This record gives sequence, structure tokens and C-alpha cells, in this order.
Amino acid sequence: MGIRFILMVNKQGQTRLAQYYEYLTLEERRALEGEIVRKCLARTEQQCSFVEHRNYKIVYRRYASLFFLVGVDNEENELAILEFIHLLVETMDRHFGNVCELDIMFHLEKAHFMLEEMVMNGCIVETSKANILSPIQLMDKAS
Amino acid sequence: MEQLKSIGRELAMGSQGGFGQSKEFLDLIKSIGETRSKAEEDRIVLREIDTLKTRLANPNTPKFKLKEYLVRLLYVEMLGHDASFGYIYAVKMTHDENLLFKRTGYLVVTLCLNEDHDLIILIVNTIQKDLRSDNYLVVCTALNAVCRLINEETIPAVLPQVVELLGHQKEAVRKKAVMALHRFYQRAPGSVSHLVSNFRKRLFDNDPGVMGATLCPLFDLITTDVNSYKDLVISFVNILKQVAEHRLPKNYDYRQIPAPFIQIKLLKILGLLGNGDKKASEHMYTIVGDMMRKFDSTSNIGNAVLYECICCVSSIHPNPKVLEAAADATSKFLKSDSHNLKYLGIDALGRLTKISPEIAEQHQLAVIDCLEDPDDTLKRKTFELLYKMTKSSNVEVIVNRMIDYMININDNHYKTEIASRCVELAEQFAPSNQWFIQTMNKVFEHAGDLVNAKLAHNLMRLIAEGFGEDDDTEDSQLRSSAVESYLRIIGEPKLPSAFLQVICWVLGEYGTFDGKYSAPYISGKLCDVAEAHSTDDIVKAYAVTALEKIYSFDIAAGRKVDMLPECESLIEELLASHSTDLQQRAYELQAIIGLDAHDVANIMPIDASCEDIEIDKSLSFLDGYIQLAIEKGAQPYVSERERSGMPNISNFKSQEQHESLTHSLRFEAYELPIPSMTPQVTPVLASSTELVPVPDPYFHTEVHYSATPAPSVSNAGSSELKLRLDGVQKKWGQPSYSSPVLSTSINDTPKMQNGKTQRDSVGSANSKARDASYDSRKPQVEISPEKQKLAASLFGGAPKSDRRQSSSNQKVTKNISHAADKSHVEKTATSDTVIIKTSQPPPDLLDLGEPAGTSIPPSLDPFKQLEGLLDLKQDATTLNTNGVSGTDAPDIMSLYADMSLSDPGNSTANPFSTSKESASLLTGFSDEANINGHGGNTVAQVTQQLNKGQNHRDFLEKDALVRQMGVTPSGQNPNLFKDLLG
Repeated sequence: MGIRFILMVNKQGQTRLAQYYEYLTLEERRALEGEIVRKCLARTEQQCSFVEHRNYKIVYRRYASLFFLVGVDNEENELAILEFIHLLVETMDRHFGNVCELDIMFHLEKAHFMLEEMVMNGCIVETSKANILSPIQLMDKAS
Repeated sequence: MEQLKSIGRELAMGSQGGFGQSKEFLDLIKSIGETRSKAEEDRIVLREIDTLKTRLANPNTPKFKLKEYLVRLLYVEMLGHDASFGYIYAVKMTHDENLLFKRTGYLVVTLCLNEDHDLIILIVNTIQKDLRSDNYLVVCTALNAVCRLINEETIPAVLPQVVELLGHQKEAVRKKAVMALHRFYQRAPGSVSHLVSNFRKRLFDNDPGVMGATLCPLFDLITTDVNSYKDLVISFVNILKQVAEHRLPKNYDYRQIPAPFIQIKLLKILGLLGNGDKKASEHMYTIVGDMMRKFDSTSNIGNAVLYECICCVSSIHPNPKVLEAAADATSKFLKSDSHNLKYLGIDALGRLTKISPEIAEQHQLAVIDCLEDPDDTLKRKTFELLYKMTKSSNVEVIVNRMIDYMININDNHYKTEIASRCVELAEQFAPSNQWFIQTMNKVFEHAGDLVNAKLAHNLMRLIAEGFGEDDDTEDSQLRSSAVESYLRIIGEPKLPSAFLQVICWVLGEYGTFDGKYSAPYISGKLCDVAEAHSTDDIVKAYAVTALEKIYSFDIAAGRKVDMLPECESLIEELLASHSTDLQQRAYELQAIIGLDAHDVANIMPIDASCEDIEIDKSLSFLDGYIQLAIEKGAQPYVSERERSGMPNISNFKSQEQHESLTHSLRFEAYELPIPSMTPQVTPVLASSTELVPVPDPYFHTEVHYSATPAPSVSNAGSSELKLRLDGVQKKWGQPSYSSPVLSTSINDTPKMQNGKTQRDSVGSANSKARDASYDSRKPQVEISPEKQKLAASLFGGAPKSDRRQSSSNQKVTKNISHAADKSHVEKTATSDTVIIKTSQPPPDLLDLGEPAGTSIPPSLDPFKQLEGLLDLKQDATTLNTNGVSGTDAPDIMSLYADMSLSDPGNSTANPFSTSKESASLLTGFSDEANINGHGGNTVAQVTQQLNKGQNHRDFLEKDALVRQMGVTPSGQNPNLFKDLLG
């Protein structure tokens, strides 16, 4: 299982989206999110986009006010995950058009649906934007 | 990309206000978005929880409203509050006909509930229904839920349907069905083991999405069982070739690279399949080589694929050409300005050095740059690389660097990791014991509570054993320096407990050894330790035993002992301690102080922690006594087995039953260590009546059990029973027991020696490197010559002498001469140091892997040796060592050392293999007590016996004899045993 969790957190440390691929209790999630965000916020632009935390490796990328954080295990290709984050953002961008933090907040469930198409069981299963978005567009049309 | 940069228009209103979003919802989201503090956010969420509780409970809520409430519920949970009150509404929502509502219901359930939640059972039925739906989107939604909600027990409920869906006409369904099966495999591999062939089939699916997804389960399957998938190598290579040649639909492209994520997955799989398999690897060279040649270095994703190629190359059977390409790619990474690429470069280097170590040498300066970098991630990765390329020539630089780094970090998780790595490297490659001890001191000082307790014991053992060569000067110098360093450190606040134990032990054993420090000085320090750590019973126990040793050595040397007042009050306090262990030690100390010099010297010989404890298992010294008894008309002993006509104890259980018949006092639980020697032992029963009654038998037994070091207790389980049945021979045979950690240390020691001798013979090449490193370490390596020095020390005498290298070599030569001078001075200094000779034969400094100092050929019959020893005067000492070990017992380490390090006949000299014997010895001790029904003999008794003017030798013999008997339950206090034995 490569990806353990995907988080979107703004620079105030407020969680905007959280998807865990292994079960953690509410308290564990809270603590983990706090620690990771603090760690990532302390880093400069020039430094690596990877941070070790406990037994996770965190790959993070910042878009304006929003941090995208992906927790992976040791076997994962960090640079590929970094690009995966970008793919996710591009996908959301295609759907929302100039996606921003509020888009994700207002359409939290849609952001989750996209993730559901892209990642299953902690593995990247779909990387074609068209394939990711088609079920969501179909659903929008139907309702 | 330009578009993406505009993403950051903070709080811009984007495409808000879509379908079904009420004003209320928009306001809530806005207020959450505008909060500036956690407290404010919490207030909003708590208010929201109240609202949702009433709204959700209203049965007339319209569906679209309900969906909105569920999303709000999601916010509650995401922001860290409990939303369990609303779960049931999410479950209800999954029944809905409308796909959006249904999917939202499933989403909330999957995000909030784990697979073992009680409500899941309510959903299984819905999932089953949805899997049969005509609408493929509904089926997909259900399959998503299957991946998150189905646990091991509910797999059978949906498995047939999922398998059926593998052949669904829609590729999206097939893809998700594959992943559902993958999930089942992750949960319970057994449940889908008969369906594995489906994954192979789906690999050749027409749809690239399905094929890409199938790689995930195949990767897992191949990880666990490579050999069953070797036939797929060619298929994977072909797929990779097609992907790389742009045969997949354009929409899989990312940054003009065809399906990079699929390529990466394929490369990972190939890496697994080609690992150690030349034939399989040969299929891969062409494609991987092509990929590396044509890669696109301008984009991150191109580099990600390239990095994966390097990983693959380093994993498969090496091929010079491909390896060269990988090395080139790695050097491109390392030369890059991007930290991310440097990071990958360091990682790749670590992988490649395993195959060809010389690759790292080409990148010395790049590696050092990364090591110096303020970026913590990069630094850690570099340490990982250094860890992989450590050898005896550069161990000092690397470990010192690691320790410096370790001291400065707060992250306990990583601190533990790096501390254990330091220790591992130090044990494996230490150039000298002195260095090893210094290094361990540092590790203990800064991470003592984080590292394994066995390390402390190893350190004590090393100090006691010394270099293992017949060079007493060097050993005592080592000890003196250890004592000196500990006296310096001891005053520091907040030393970890494990380290204090080592300090106390070493000070007790060697504090007054070289005569530099007086007994009152050392004992004062020890009292301070005990006082400063009044809550730590173990440290106190170590301190008291150390005091005991200090005073004993002083008495033995014929000096008058004046106990320090603070020491007296400490002992006073401990006599009434709640800890029986501390009490015991305090009483022992009191008793020993009262003895005369000769007795004390016998009880507590100086530097005898490595001495042998001889055990006369045959009890031959009793022969005369038995003879006498028989002459007086006593019945000769008939062994239990003979009595009952039981020929052989092949079955432990039967013996146990048998025992319970013959001995009413025995309890089953304590039968384990019955020695094979029972026949000879039993006559002692009669003789032992001569033993002076013991004041407190419980006390005694308890102490000895508590003293038994944990490892030996745990290891003295069933396997030990067998070993002990083998009797004495085993002791001289191959070491038959060792825990993993111990075995490493044991195995490592010869290596250490090798490293050392090697260095000596090879000459200054390596040592100069070390010196250079010492110099360069302190002033931060910023100037390039210093960096080069570091490089030289890290990478050893790199033969590829480019200009920089040679210049650094010149500098280094100066250091050599300097070092040589220094060592010369040290040598002369040592010859001047006074060594207190003990009345005993010189300490037998057994080195692991070397024959014993006493040079008794291991092939000799141990019994004969024992008999011989017994009659000599020498035996007094040997047996006395037994006595020491007995009295010393609570001092776990000295016991360890006493018992295990000193067996002269033990040619393999595995110090810890004997520790099981120490355990059995202890039990033997108490066993005797039990049989007699009046306790064993502690120091208190010993002194009594001595005071009564009993023959000293008699006592020693008894003492030894007592040790050989197996354990039998104490008739008086069996429960105590039970507790202690666990």
C-alpha cells in the first residue's frame, strides 16, 4: 500500500480535505495533521518537497494558500507522488475552472469523488483526466 | 501552469453556489473559511453539531437537504469533532435511488466508519443490491464502497458478484472490480488465492486503465512470491515498451510523457522480477537502457521515471552498460540545483553503491554538500547513504557525524533510529575499544533511554574484557580512561538510567583500580548518584553494589574503611527499602564491611567480573564424604529413575508426572530445569544439613530470581531444558543459544579485531584519513580544502587521485606524524601507570573468539580439570568467584560477566551462551534451599559460617555444589517462585 493518506490543509493549518487509506482514530488524525502541517510550514521553498515523519514520508506541494500533503510509505517514488499531486490539481482545475480553496470547500464531496477515481486501496489507479471526470460529469447531468 | 498559479486567489468565489446549495450552507462554509483561530472554528463546529442533531432527526427533511447535511457532517468530522450521531443517516442515504445522493451517502460512510464498525453490516445488503444494478455508475459506486467497507468476514457476501464484474463490458467497472479483489487480497490473502489467475487475465485487458490498475495487485503478489510470476517478465517488458513508445491513448499522457505512472509501476515490478535473476534481467536491459537514453530531463515526471529506472537497474542482475547509464543519470541528479533531484540522487547513489562502491567516490563533494545542507530531509537521506557505505576506514568520521547530528535533533523517532545505527556501525567496525567506549558514552548520554538495554551490557562487558589481547597495560589504561570519563560525566543532570547503570558498574569495578582515586572519593560520587536518582531503584541498586565493591577492594587491600556519613545514611535508608532487592544489597554491604581482609578478598576479588565460575557438576569433592557415610552404614543412593524403573527421560511430561509421585514437595510448575545430574546430587541432601540455618530464605530466593537477567529468563524456556539435559558437555561445546542482538555483537567482535589488525598492517593509509577527519570536523566544512579532507576521510584513499585528492593527502600526512608522536607518548605514559596486582592470578581477560588466557586446552575433559582444580589452592579462588557471583547476583551485569566471560574451557568463548547457565545456577542456588527446607546461603550466611570458624574450603565446596542442582519448588513459598519465573 503506497499512499497512506491525502490531505489538503491551508496555511493556517485548517484541514480542507482529508482522505485516509488506513484507519486512524479521530484523535490520531488530529494529532497527525497538526504535526505534519507544522513541519511542512517550517520549510523553505528551496528545500526538498519531502519530509519524514514517524514512519511516513510526506510529499507536499503548495498552491497559494493550500498545501497538498500525501503520506506514503518507503517504497513509493517521491517525485512521482509530487507530480501526482499536480495531476490532481490539474484535474480539479479542469472541472472547476481555476480551482481555489473555496471551490474545494463548497464541493467537498466532488473533490472526494475525484480522489476516489484516482486512488484506490492506496494505489494510483487512474491518471487520465477524462476517465476521472466522466463519472462525475455524468452524475451532474443526471441530477 | 500559468492557470494553476492563479489557483491561489484566496477566497475567490470560483464556481460556488452550484446545485442544491442553500444560503445556510454557503454561510457555514464561509464562516469556517474565515476563522482565524482554532477556538473560533471549534465554536462554529459545536454550534453546527447542535443544528445537525435536530435537523437530521426531523423525518420530513427533503432529500437534497439531507445530502447537504451529510456534507456538513463531513466537515464536523474533518475538523476533528465526533459526528457519530449522524452516521446512521449516511447509511440510510446509501439506499437512495438518486446516484448523487447514494454516492454521497457512501462517501460519508467510507470516510467516517472503519470496516469493523457495527453499522457496516447494514450496508452489506445495499452493496449487494447495487452491485447488481443496471447502471454501471451505481456499480462503480458500490465497488468503491466494497474497497473501503468490506472486512474479512463479509468478503464471501460480495465475492461472487465482484468476480462476475471482472468481465463487465464497461472498463470502469472492470477496473474497480480488480481493485476490489486487490482489497480482498490485502485483507485476507487466503480468501482470493484461487482467483489470482484473474489478475493475470486482466493484465491483458483491452483497456489501458484496467491494465494499469491490475499492476497494483500484481505488484503485491510478486512482492510476496516472485517465482510464480517469472513467466510474465516478457509480457511486462512488452507492455513497458509499448507504453514508452506512445502506444497508449493520448489522455494518459502527462507532460508529454506517456502514462508515466504506469511506467513507474512496471519498472517497480521488473525490479522485483529481475532481482538476482540473470535470465529475467537480460530481457530488461534493452528497454531500460532505451528509456534512460531518451528520458526527458526537463520535467519532474521525466526525472521520476528516470529515477525509477535507476532503482530497477540497481535491483536487477547488474549489467555494466546499463549500470553506467544509471550512474550517469545519478550524477545528473546530484549536480542538479533542485533539492528534490539531489535527494533522489543520494538515494540512487545508495542503491548503486551496493553494486559498485566506486560510484560513490566520484561524487564525494556532492555527497558532502548534501550532508552540510541545512535541509533536514536531505541530510537524513545522506546519513542513510553514509550508513550504507560505512567501512572500517571511515567509520569514525561517519559515526561522529551521526552523533553530532543526533545530539541536535528532538524527534525521538528518528533519534532512536540514528542512535541504533551508530551503535550498529560502532559494533561492526570499531577501530579500537577505546573509541567504541567513547562513542557508546556519547550515544548513551544523549539517547540512553531510547536505545536497547542490551547495549549497556555490551559496553560493560567490553570494559571488563578489555582488548582481549594479552596486554594488561592497555586494558587498564582503557579502564582508567573509562573511569575518568565517567567521573567527568557523572555530575551532569538528566543522564539516562541505562547510562547511569553503566557508570555505576564501571566505577564500582574499576573506580579505585589504578589507585588514582581513593575509595571515599568514588563512594562519595556513588552516593551522590543514588541520592540524585532516588526514584530509580535500578540505578540505586547498581550504586549500592558498586559501593560494596569499592569497600571490599579497600578492605582486601588492608586499608581501614571509614564509611562516609552520607553513605551510611544511604545504607540505613535502604535497609528499610520497599524494594527487597535494595534491602538485600544493603544487608550484603553491611555484612561484608564486617569481615576481615582475607575473607573479603575471597568474596569480592578485584577485577574478577571476567573470572571463571567453575562448577563441579559431578560433585566429586563429596566422594569422600559419601564414602564415609556408607561406611557408617548409610544406604547408597539409588537414582530416581532407577528406583521407578524408568529408563530414559525422553518425554518431559512423563518425567513431570513421575516426579510428582516421588516427591510430595515438588510442584509441577518448577520442574523445567531439573538437571540430568540428579543422581549425584541427591546424596548432598544429607550433607547439606550441616549448613547453617538461614535467617531469611524467602529473601534470598527472591533476590536471586530478580537478579536473573531478563534475557536469560526468557531464553531459559523450553529450549534450555534440552540444553541442560545435555549436561556439562554442552558448556564446552558450540554456543547453542543466542538472541539476535547478542549474536550480532558476538559476530562483530572478531570483525572489530580484524579491522584493527588490518589497519595496523595496512599502515597509515586509513588512520591518516581518520586524523584528517578529526581535524576537519570541528571547523564547519565550508572552505573547500576542508571539505576535501572530509571527502578523503569518508571515501578512504580514493585511488582516482585527481588534484584535489592529492592535495588533501599531503595535508593528511602531517597528521600522521602528529598522530604517531601522540601514540608514542601514550605508550610511555601507560608503562608508567601503576597497576595494582591482585592476590589472585591475573584477570583472565577472555577475548571473544580467542582461546582463554589460562590456556587450558579446550579438548581436555572438563571434569578432570575441575577435579584438578579442586585440590589445588587455586580452587579456592575459582570457587570464590562463585561466591562472588552469588552475592553479587542482583548486580545483573557483573553476574553476566562473572558467569559468562570467564569459562576458560569454552573455546568458542561465546560470552552469552553461558548466560543460561547463570540462570540455572541461580535457580540451583535456591533449589538447594528448597530441598533442605531452610533457605540458601547468601553472604549473610557465608559470613556466619566463616565467623563460626568453619572450614573455609567446606563452605566453598558447598557453595559450588549448591549451584549445580536444578531447581525444585520451594516448599515454603512456591508462589514467590511463580511470580518471579513468570
